[in-house]
Amino acid sequence: MRIVRPSSRARLAHGTLPAGRVGAELMLKSSIAGILTSAVVALTFCSGVAAAEPKLLEPERAFALSVQAIDEKSVEVRFVIAQGYYLYREKMKFAVEPAALASAPLLPPGVVKDDPFFGTVETYRGLFAVRLPLVGAEPGLKVTVKAESQGCADAGVCYPPQVQSVTVALPAPGGRPGAPVAATPAKKSWFN
Amino acid sequence: MTSPFATRRPLVWATMALAAVIALGAGLYFGGFADRGNVTDLRGKEAGALFGVALPDAKGREQSIGQWKGKVLVVNFWATWCVPCREEMPEFVKVQQELGPRGLQFVGIAIDDVPKVEAFAAELGLNYPVLIGGYGAIELSRTFGNRLGALPFTIIVDRAGRISHTQLGPIKDAQLRTIVSQLL
Repeated sequence: MRIVRPSSRARLAHGTLPAGRVGAELMLKSSIAGILTSAVVALTFCSGVAAAEPKLLEPERAFALSVQAIDEKSVEVRFVIAQGYYLYREKMKFAVEPAALASAPLLPPGVVKDDPFFGTVETYRGLFAVRLPLVGAEPGLKVTVKAESQGCADAGVCYPPQVQSVTVALPAPGGRPGAPVAATPAKKSWFN
Repeated sequence: MTSPFATRRPLVWATMALAAVIALGAGLYFGGFADRGNVTDLRGKEAGALFGVALPDAKGREQSIGQWKGKVLVVNFWATWCVPCREEMPEFVKVQQELGPRGLQFVGIAIDDVPKVEAFAAELGLNYPVLIGGYGAIELSRTFGNRLGALPFTIIVDRAGRISHTQLGPIKDAQLRTIVSQLL
């Protein structure tokens, strides 16, 4: 259907052209423009078809983890959640080594959804951040933060729980927070 | 000068023809890739390894998938924590009921624990066997082209034991019926 559109547009353009040689040249040019437009429309249309079954992200890219050492006794964990994907609040788990969590992290409230099987569940979209208070930490200590998360894509798939980990060095008291460190998953091959 | 309509007509047709060719090419190219984009295309391959898989059912009895060889087999990897998985299963129950007598066999592989599977199976009135896979079954699904290890993942195998279709994400009712009815 949409393939026809550029041609009919071209016809419209031709209709307004003056007769004669100049007009003929213009017609040729606008026909080339019409072909190019057709190509663009065709490609757009076909990627529209492709979008019906969208290319899904690998879980570590759909839910991109980074950790920042804030001070000598706390780190901040962040997930950048790709558009069209979400994480379950109840499935978030954190562990820190060799220091330990001083208390259960205060998870931000999510968007409440009613699940017919599990009851009320909360989900996160966009950006998720939580501060983890540490005990047994000391300045300069390298701590490894392990974050377990589980989420789904609106496209209709769910990923099994995944554990990602990031190691950061804690700053000295009064020192600057460290730079955020991203969990960079090793690619197994070019094809996955 | 003849009517401008006469000179532009071939151009219009040429434009349309070329557009059609481009659209067809693009459709084949992108459509072909998009369709298999999230799974490795194993259609037509032997599903041999699948028939060697044995997993416990909810009662703890070991069940070999080989016992269903010769049927049109629909193996569905799912979990209760996967909403899209749960949403497509009532349709599976219907299709099993309708086409089971003609030789269609659904088998669920749950990436889950027994109590949740039993609760959901009871709620749904599940009429086909479910095996308890645990997270190891995700790895099994990867060997059948589920590169992302996500759910639901479905493998349709013909009577001869060849993979006819694999799908990541819910399978549309019409598509499911079309595929299996060609195999029955």
